[in-house]
This record gives sequence, C-alpha cells and structure tokens, in this order.
Amino acid sequence: MTLDNMTQGEIKTRAASVEFKSVTKRYGTEVTAVDDVSLHVEAGELVTLLGPSGCGKTTTLRMIAGLEMATEGKILIGGSDVTQLPATDRDVSMVFQSYALFPHMTVLENVCYGLRASGKKKKQSVELAEHGLDLVGLAGYGSRLPSELSGGQQQRVAVARALVLEPQVLLFDEPLSNLDAKLRRQVREDIRDIQQRLSLTVVYVTHDQEEALAVSDRIIVMKNAMIAQVGSPRELYEQPASEFVADFIGEANIVEAQISAVHEGLATVHVGDVTLNLDSRGLAAGSAKLAVRPNRIFIEPHHPGSADALVGSVLKATYVGDRIEYKVATDLGALFCTSEATDRQVVEGSEVAVRFDDVGPVLLPHSA
Amino acid sequence: MKQIQKLAAAVGVALLGCMSQSIAAEKVTYYCSAQEDWCQLMASGFEEATGIKVNMTRKSSGETFAQIKAEADNPKGDVWWGGTGDPHLQAAEEGLTEAYESPMRGELHDWSISQSESADNKTIGIYSGALGYGYNEEILKANNLPEPACWEDLLKPEYKGHVQMANPNSSGTAYTTLATIVQLFGEDEGFEFMKGLHKNINQYTKSGSAPIKAAARGENTIGIVFMHDAVKQAASGFPIKVVAPCEGTGYEIGSMSLIKDGRNLENAKKFYDWALTADVQSRSLEVKAFQVMSNKSAESSPQAPDLASIKLIDYDFKKYGSSAERKRLLKKWDDEVSTLPR
Amino acid sequence: MSAPVSDVLATRRGSRVVILWLFIGLLGYFVLPWYMLEDGFFSFEWLFDGYPFDSDYAPGAFLVYQGEKIWLTPLILPLLLPLVVLGRKTDRRFFSTVLIVAGVSGFFYLFAQGFAIGIRGFNAEWMTALFGELGDRQFGFGYGAVLLACTFLFYLTTGIAARGYINGDVFVVGAIGFIISIVAIFIFFPIAQMLSSALHDNDGAYSLSVFVEKFSENKIWGLACLTENRGCGVAWNSLFLAVIVGATTTLLGLVFALVATRSGFRYGNWLRALTVLPIITPPFVIGLAIILLFGLSGTVTQWVAGALDLQPSRWVYGLPGIMIAQMLSFTPIAFLVLIGVVEGVSPSMEEASQTLRASRWYTFKTVTFPLIRPGLANAFLLGFIESMADFGNPLVLGGNYDVLSTEIFFAIVGAQNDQGRAAVLAIVLLLFTLTAFYAQRRWLGKKSYITKTGKGDGGSHSLMPKRIMYPCYAIASIWVVFTVTVYGMIIYGGFVETWGLNHTLTLKHYITTFAIGFNEFGIHFKGTAWDSFFTTLKIAATAAPLTAIVGLITAYLLVRQQFRGKDWFEFGTMLSFAIPGTVVGVSYILAFNVPPLELTGTGIILIISFVFRNMPVGVRAGIASMSQLDKSLDEASLTLGANTWRTFRKVILPLMRPAILAALVFSFVRAMTAISAVIFLVSAEYNMATSYIIGRVENNDYGIAIAYSTTLIFVMLAAILLFQLLVGRNQTSRPFQTRTNVG
Repeated sequence: MTLDNMTQGEIKTRAASVEFKSVTKRYGTEVTAVDDVSLHVEAGELVTLLGPSGCGKTTTLRMIAGLEMATEGKILIGGSDVTQLPATDRDVSMVFQSYALFPHMTVLENVCYGLRASGKKKKQSVELAEHGLDLVGLAGYGSRLPSELSGGQQQRVAVARALVLEPQVLLFDEPLSNLDAKLRRQVREDIRDIQQRLSLTVVYVTHDQEEALAVSDRIIVMKNAMIAQVGSPRELYEQPASEFVADFIGEANIVEAQISAVHEGLATVHVGDVTLNLDSRGLAAGSAKLAVRPNRIFIEPHHPGSADALVGSVLKATYVGDRIEYKVATDLGALFCTSEATDRQVVEGSEVAVRFDDVGPVLLPHSA
Repeated sequence: MKQIQKLAAAVGVALLGCMSQSIAAEKVTYYCSAQEDWCQLMASGFEEATGIKVNMTRKSSGETFAQIKAEADNPKGDVWWGGTGDPHLQAAEEGLTEAYESPMRGELHDWSISQSESADNKTIGIYSGALGYGYNEEILKANNLPEPACWEDLLKPEYKGHVQMANPNSSGTAYTTLATIVQLFGEDEGFEFMKGLHKNINQYTKSGSAPIKAAARGENTIGIVFMHDAVKQAASGFPIKVVAPCEGTGYEIGSMSLIKDGRNLENAKKFYDWALTADVQSRSLEVKAFQVMSNKSAESSPQAPDLASIKLIDYDFKKYGSSAERKRLLKKWDDEVSTLPR
Repeated sequence: MSAPVSDVLATRRGSRVVILWLFIGLLGYFVLPWYMLEDGFFSFEWLFDGYPFDSDYAPGAFLVYQGEKIWLTPLILPLLLPLVVLGRKTDRRFFSTVLIVAGVSGFFYLFAQGFAIGIRGFNAEWMTALFGELGDRQFGFGYGAVLLACTFLFYLTTGIAARGYINGDVFVVGAIGFIISIVAIFIFFPIAQMLSSALHDNDGAYSLSVFVEKFSENKIWGLACLTENRGCGVAWNSLFLAVIVGATTTLLGLVFALVATRSGFRYGNWLRALTVLPIITPPFVIGLAIILLFGLSGTVTQWVAGALDLQPSRWVYGLPGIMIAQMLSFTPIAFLVLIGVVEGVSPSMEEASQTLRASRWYTFKTVTFPLIRPGLANAFLLGFIESMADFGNPLVLGGNYDVLSTEIFFAIVGAQNDQGRAAVLAIVLLLFTLTAFYAQRRWLGKKSYITKTGKGDGGSHSLMPKRIMYPCYAIASIWVVFTVTVYGMIIYGGFVETWGLNHTLTLKHYITTFAIGFNEFGIHFKGTAWDSFFTTLKIAATAAPLTAIVGLITAYLLVRQQFRGKDWFEFGTMLSFAIPGTVVGVSYILAFNVPPLELTGTGIILIISFVFRNMPVGVRAGIASMSQLDKSLDEASLTLGANTWRTFRKVILPLMRPAILAALVFSFVRAMTAISAVIFLVSAEYNMATSYIIGRVENNDYGIAIAYSTTLIFVMLAAILLFQLLVGRNQTSRPFQTRTNVG
C-alpha cells in the first residue's frame, strides 16, 4: 500500500472522543481485570494501551467496543453514555489480532459485511467497499478468499472492513503480532498514515513498546488492571513516573541515589562517587531512585582518579550488530549499557570507568 | 458444484412431492390384530369395495387394547378387527367399545353370536381357532423323542428344554392356554400341570405364535399355540406336525369391535358389515389364514383343523375374559409357576 | 427528560420484535383455526369446509364471537397489552415490565385453560364442584393456539431482554427462552407425567403404597440367580448386561482405534467404513442374522455340533445372544469416541518419552495409556447407556433373559396392561441411565487430557509395541470376518426363498415389498412396504433439519453466551440422551394423548420424539465445531454492526457446515432406524419402517424383513451422500484455530 494510490474516496471521518469514568471490570468475584480506570481519548487522536500480558489493556479495548460490559463506571463515546450499549449498537469498529476475516466470504463480501448489516443498499455497499479496498491498496483483490491472501494483505482487508463503516472510533487489538518483523514496520506506518490522513480516533493495543512509541500520539501504560502512566511517547520515555514504566518503555538501569539538596527544582544527586544535577520532580532531600537508559551510560578505560565516574569491571560484552551490549559490575550492582562504538570493543574482565550522560538519567518519583 | 447442489435439491423436493398424497374425504381408521398380510388384504379389499380410505395400524391384540385404552379420552381409531377375543371382551367390559347389531348376524355361526351376546353386543366373532400344539418332526427325530399326542405328554421329562409357550402376561394365546388348562383339569390340578410344564419349557416367548415359528425354523421343538398358526407353518412347507391334544382343548374367537366415540362411526359400521360377508371371509385362504370363519357360507380350507373333529371344552369366555379373573390367574401363575427353578 | 441512547435503542429494537410477534399472535387468534385439526397439521381441508364459523375450524376470536368457548376471551388482553408501549418513547423499565406481564399472564392463562378444560369438560373435580358442569369441551391446541403461545413466550423474553439481561440481546434471550420452553414441554413434562402415573393406582387414585409395592417387586430386584437355578430381577439383568457390554465394546473400540491409527495399517478407512455399518442398520437385522448363524439350527451351531459331535443347543438365546448383538451394534460408538482420543494424544508426548530412553512398551504403558484413560471411561459409559436402552436385540434374542427395556414394553402391551408398572420400570431404567450420565458429566466432564494444541505438532504417532499389536490384529480380524459374515448373511437372506428350508434364490421378497406397477393414473406403488417407507422418509427428512437447528442453536448458546443457570441449561438439553426410547415412548403416550397437547396418532409426535431424542448429538456436534471457530469472528461481526441473529446466520452457520452435516446425517439415520420409542407412537396413518419390520419378524417373514432392511441400509447410504452434496464442502481452505487474547 502506498500513498499514491490512495484516493480519499468517500470515506469520511466522524471521529469522536472516548471517555472512561472510573470503570471497573470484574469477572466473577475474584478477578478484577480493570480496576477503577478513568481515561480520555481526544477525537482524532491515536492512543495506545501498552502493558504486559494480563494488565487489562485488551479488556479495556473490548469495553470500548462493547464486547465486554463494564461492571462499574461509565463509558462515553462522543459525549454520549454508551455504558449499557452492546457492540452492535456502538459506532466503533475493531481490527482483531487474528484479523477475524470471515473465511467463507470473499474479500469484497467481507468489506461489505458491516455496510450491509447497517442497512445500506447492495450497490452502494459494493461501491464503498471498493473505495475501502482501494484505500488500503488492495483494489482488484475483491473476489479472492481471505485464505488466498498473505498475512499483510489480510491485515489490510481487516482495516478496510473496519474503515468503510466510518466509525467514531477505530480499535486495533495487537494488529501486528501475526506479521513478520520486516512487515511490521511497514504496516504500522501505513496505519499511522491512514489515521492521520482521515483524522481518525484510534485506540491501539500492543505489548510492544517500540511499536507503541512509533505510532502513538499518546500512550497509556497499564499495569495490574490500573493505569501506570499516561503521556506522549517522549514523556514516557524520558520522564517515566515509576520504576515499572521506566523499565517497560525501553530498558532502564534503576540505581539507588542520594539527594543532598534541592534548589529551584534542581536536585543535587549522588550516585556512588558521581554527582549529577537533575530535575528534582518534586522530590525532597533523601534517598531516591534513578533510572538511566543503557545508552546514557558510557564506559571508558579506567584511569585512576577519574572524577565523576564509577569503577567497574566488564562482566560480559555481546556484539549485536549495530551496537555492543555490556554488563558491568559496579558497587551499585550490575549495570547494563550499550555502546555504538562497535569498532572499539572493551574486552571482558577489564576495569572501566562508568559515567552517566548529563541528560538522560531521571529521578523516579516515590511511587505508589 | 453449485449445479450438483441444485440438482440434488430438486431431486429432494420432487421426492417429497411424490410422497405427500392428497387425502380423501371419506375414511376409516382400522386397528388390525391379525397377521399383517391378512390385515392388508382387508384394508385394500374394503378400499376397493367402497372407495373409503382405510388407515390401518397392525399391532398385536394386547398392544391394540393398550392403545385403545390409552386413547380412551380421545379415540383415534374406528374399528378393531382381529385378534383373540379376550381383549375385545375386556374392552367391552371397560366400556371402550360400542354396541352394534349388524344386519349380517343371521348368516353367522352360533359361537360368533354367543360371543357377541356375552359382551352386550359390543364385539362379535369373526373367526375361531382351537388351541393345541405343533412340533418339528425333524428335530423330534434327531433327538429320538416320542411323538406327543396329549397335554399330559408334554410333562414327560424327555421333553425337558424342548417345549416353548408364550408368557401369559404378554400373550393372549398363552393366557388362553392357562385358562384352558385350568378349565380342563380344575384350578389346583391345572396349576400342578403348569408347574410340571414349566420344567420342560425352554423359553416363555413374548408373542403368542412365536413358539411354533421358532419350531418351524428349527429353533425349538414343540410350540404350544393355536392350531391354525401351526397349520400355517406346515402349509408354508416347514416340517411341522399339528396336534389336537387328546384330553380336549380350548379355543379362541377372533373378534371385531367398534371403538367407542370413534370419529368415523358410519364408515366403521360399513366395514363391520362388510367384514362379516361370506365373500370377504372366504378370502382368508389367500393369506393362509386357516381359522374357521364365522359366516356359515364362508369357504374353509381342507388344511384347516376341523373344529368338529376336535374335542372342544365349553370355554367360559365371560368368566375367563373378565379383568378380575385374568388378573387373579396371572398373578397366581406369576407367583407360583414362573418363579420356580427349572 | 431524555432517555439514554442505550434505552432508546433497546426499546426500539424490542419494539420491532414485539410488533412481529403481535402480528403473529393476531394471526393465531383471529385467523387460524384454534384447535387441532382432526385430519392432521398438514391438511388444508378446513379452508373449504365451514371455515371460519364451523367450531372445529374456527379461530379463537370467531369462537368467542359466536358465544362458544368463552373462556378464550381473556387472552385478548395480554395479546394487545404491549400496544400500550409501542410507538411511544417510554422508559425502558416500564417497557420491559409491560412485556413481562403480558407474556407471563398470557402464557400462563393459555396453558391453564388448556389443562383445566379438556375433552370431557372440566378436568378437575373441584372445578366442576365450583363452577358446575361446563357442558362444553375442547380439543388440543391447533395452529392458532400454538402461535399465540409463541407470541406470549417471545413477549416475555423480549421483556426480559429489555431489562438488560445478556446485554439486552433480544435474539439470545429469545433463543434461551425458546429452548427452555421446548425442553420443558417435550422432555420434562412427559417424564413428570410418567412419574405421577407411577404414583397412581389403576383407578387413578393417588397412592404411594402402590408405588412402593411395585417398585420393590421381586421381579425387579430379585437376586435368586445367585442362589438358585432361576432368573434374577430385571434390574440386575439389565445392569449386568450393560456392564459387560460397556466393558467389551470399550475394549474392542480401543483395539480398532489402535489398529486404525497406530499399526501402520493401510486400510484404516475401510475399517472405519465397516464400523459405521452397524449404525445404519435397522434394529432386529443383526439379531436375525445372529439367530441364523448361532441359533439351534444356525449354520455355525450345526457345523460345530457336527464337527465336535455335540448336541446343538439354544445357547444363544439369552445373555450371550444379546451380548453378541449389542457388541456388534455398539462397538462403533466406542470406536468413534476412542479414535478421537487416541489421535488426540500429541505425538510429541510420546516422542518426548522416547527421547527420554523409554521403550515403546514403557511409553505406551506410562504415557499413552494414562492419557486415554478418561476416553475409555467415557466410551464405557456410552456403551453402558446404549445397552440399557437397547430394545430391538433383547426382543429378538432375549430368550428368558428379561431386561428392563423389553419388560417396560410388555408391561404396557402385554395382557397385564399395567401402565403404572411400566412407569415404575421406566423409573428404574431412568435411574440407572441418569446415574451413568451424571457420572460421565461430573466425573469426566472437565477431565480431558486431549493434548492437541492446534499448533501443528510435528511428528507422527508412534507404532504400537508388538506385544499389543498382534493381539489387536487378531481381535480386529475376527471382528471384521464376523461383521462381513453377518452382513453377507443379511444380503443373502433377502434373496432366498425361505431361510433354513429352501435356499433357492428369488426376488420374491423385494417384489412383495417394493413392487411398482403402472395403471391409468401413472405410477402405482404396489409393494406392501411403500407406505411405511414413504412415511419414514418424510418423517426422518423433516426431523433431521429440525434436530440440527435446535442442536446448533443450543450449542451456540452454550459455547458463545454467558448466562446464569447455564450449567442447568446444559444438563437439561443433554438429558434426553440418557432417557431410553421405551421411556420416551411411554411418557409421550401418557403426556400427549389429551389436550392441550394432543399429539398421539400424528406424524408430529414422531418428529418431536426424534428431535428431542437426537438433540444431544446435534448439540455435541455443534459444540465441538463451534469451539474450533475463532471467537473473534463473532466479535468482528458484532463490532461491524451486525446483531447476534445476523451473526449467527451469516457467520456461524456457514462455518459450521461439517457440524450441520453430522447432525443432519445422524438424526436422519437415527430416525430411520429407531424403534424403541417409535413402537409406541406409530399410528394408522404414520406407520414407520421399523414397526413394519417388527410385524414381519413376528410373522416369521424373515425374507421380507431382511429385504426391507437391506433396502433401508442402501437408502441411508444414498441419503448420506445426498446430504453431503446439499450441504456442500466447506469453502474455506484455511483451518481456523482458536486463539485466545490475553492482554
């Protein structure tokens, strides 16, 4: 699918906002899948629900779709209360992880399905469906069966099928998980393109943080049925609100630190022998935790008396192509860092000086 | 593929179309308790003669009685033809059947009329047959057994495992046997006889004529049945010899009744009269039914047992046909005979 | 005040359904004949014969108008009550309350009047005492009453849906209500009626002591066979037989399953085809063939007796004969259960064991066998239940070995004619089968070791160890030879003059049964069997799709919907599997001979009995295939704006073709070969093939019975092929696997 053969067609957008007000979903009396979650998705925005397996992100998505009913709380779409409304009656479409293409119908019949179900005339449905297929670059594939398409093509049929209904909200449930790595990047860009072109409201579920960072306007990180943090990709990456978020979005070394003083929002932080000046993020003097991304840690040959550096020894060095990953033992524990200087590999067992970048390390607020 | 499917569908529809025949306005529902081919003959004969459509069900007399009783609140049948007289009498006693005096009565044998009168004209005799037994000559010979001629012969120990009769609980024939023995020997001795017989019995079958059929096929040696059933097997070519026991024997009167509150009473009466005519009764020979027919002018087969030459007891249909006596005898048989070891 | 969106939508959708049912209800009350037509459901004579004023054919409204059956008047109120809420913006609660009130009151009143006033006026004496003689009577429900009953039922379910039950899904609630109603009416009601008849003496008076006396009878529970040379009670006979048959069929089934999958045996498909034969064989035929082989004058008996110089005996009559016949008939069932189980054991388990240095025998003993053990128990219980319920074989081969199923039959039709005793015996039989059924569900229901993951396990099944393989081959060969002989005898038997006497080849029997002549009106079906043959085809062909529909809807509700009381719902729908045919026959006669549900003597009662007897199979086939369908297909359809009804029709049904085929074929075949319930329910107009065959067997016409049965076997084979064509192959080539979303 390329942008060239995309015709804007008659597919319009009726994007609407989504709002959760203290929504809880329980199965039976024991299991709480979603616990008192409130969130807001602006119209025309792509928001990703991100989290590890079992965090409640899919349940949240399914509650937007109406496939699960909230046990408590309210769900609003476009400002009206849809809490009690079943899936059929919600103006929401969904692209499933397995695509859920009807295997006994042709591609065109699949795309027409929702149009026919909502009472459109056959002729009009076919026209719209063809536009939809055109939009995803599958014009001319209408008479095939889903089983005759590749995985990526099936995925695009699923998108077209959802798009032609001009839904208020479009939902994606791990849409890339059944594609191979190469295709993923392509498809995710396509999805983002269409979303921005048609200014759709999209809620997107994934457990892959890289995917989330790449496509989202905003990301909602979930953990244990609750929201851990909400923010733009950059905010989440650079200013994680908790150890969990810091570690889940990209990798992070969490190290113990001491704040000796805070002045005008700037904290003086001691990590071993190293002293850093960082945004205090509301912390007062005392012990704190510091998150440092692996690429923000530098190692260099050890010279006695290096200031602002930790002393460590390389436990392990792994060459992974575009960079080298080091595991370094220090007084603060093992640190994980990467170096793009692949030409100069530090041999295992050698003594090194470990430094932190000036920007990058971030203090973690005392979290719940 | 699509075309094959269409073709298949068309064939299916056509088949269904063929099957649903239109329903004639005039009809009669006919329960038949005689042998299947005889029942068929009567049904098609009546349809031919009158143009009235006949819906026939063939079930044994016990089954038919049960059905009529179950349907008593809402009768489905019109006329019940054939089968031993007892259940007909019982139905009359329980008010399940309708009284009717046919104009044909003048042509009938006395035993037929007296059967009718004993039930307030709620039933009538159409044929009669005497009880007896038959044996398979080949098997008898193969086992070096003497030829039996009397009831008493059947008690001989050498016949152990060679005699078969139906269970009186399930078969009218066997009940007739029980009642005959009781009338012939008196109740106490009669039961002693049944106990002696029990030792020789290899199986109490469920259906009345099964013992002689088993004998015909070589599955049994001696079967206690109505003689005409045994004659039929002999006439079909099986090595069956028919015996009229020397002490004398009982008999049944195959009967016909009109079902009370039937929905086609008029047609049922037409059937009733028609079934009593000599012509119709003579046709029984076509289906190897060797009973003696009730119309005096009906033809009988030379193979049929001649009722005149058999010593018949004075069978008390009134008494032994009543529910109370039947229940009492059956219970006694159940308690005293069937539980004995063999 | 403006109602929330969901309320508006819910009432709007509900309203559409209510309008539909209101229309149908009006049709029932004002247009169609209210009472059952004497000529049957499918005759249309009434249209030209005094309709709409003749009181036999009049619609309810006309009856009331003419001052007859005035007790039908109040029905108009609940019928029209929903008009209060239609076409008006109403509060959802009010909407649902009105519908529930209309539905419940209408339904209740309709049945109450039906049960209260029967063919002889008031049915209960206290009513006569209270109101005096009625001086009028009524027959069973006809088109009109049935439609009105449906209307009230769906008012109620729509009302409940509007309450928000099951997301307010009108279709799902309606389907649940519908299934519950028909199961209640056609399974529970007759059984209850039978239980109550067991509690009444012959004069109809309530009596617990009569029940106790009949129940504890020596004939049922006697244990004399342990101490003396005479028979035990029928209950013990049945139990003993069922245990033996259950065990042997399971063993044989396992042997075949192993031979078919684990022996490298190349003709496994032929073996499968051979094991399917007994399923499409009418009852008695196997029994007859066994008599012809092993009876006193049977070929084998005579030969063995001659060879060993023994006195031939009647050994086959009784337990041995029934056992052989049932083994032949029910081994295929065990085979079909076990082949799934044996194939379901993942090869990688066995491969794992072998890579851990276990020998083949050790692997079989410690891995394979324990994995298939629950399947064995399952097969055993199925064989047990089938044996308990079997009627045809004991009838032909029983000798003096009485079992419950035949005893029930003769308690009704025998000279004793004791319905109460039949009911008591039926209760005993039901106790056994229900216990087995309950055990199967509770004990095994959840315990499945099927290890298939759907992930395309590489590898193939390892072969059996030799010390198992050879005995398996031996047993399977004997069985195959035996089956082939039996069926050879059957086919041959249809072509000889008289079995055992005159073995001249002849077409006589086929001509008698299936002769076709031509007269001035065209084709004339002269053969004596045509009538019952066409009836059987008609009934079986009608029952099969109904069974499939009811079964699949039930399966859909069970697999795809969550609702309270689902466990009980499932139990109720599967229950009829454990109710033997004779019990069904007896209870149907007791329950459906009188108004309001007056069905005896019609073809409908046969169809209904088949639908409910075979429903569990439809449900199972549906459940099995539906759980293979990715649930996100349904969900995709829902999020695309289709409602559940459309989803069911457009997505689920087309994808379930194999299950539909299985259900259709099975119920068709069962309807063609069923005897135990049928024998109570056939009537003059609707005589079935099997009951015709019984007649011929009773009459010693083995030739005709066998000729007819052979024809039926071929007809069933043809029908299976026809169904296959009609339903078509699944058009999708990709297997759909279940994926679960975890997130």
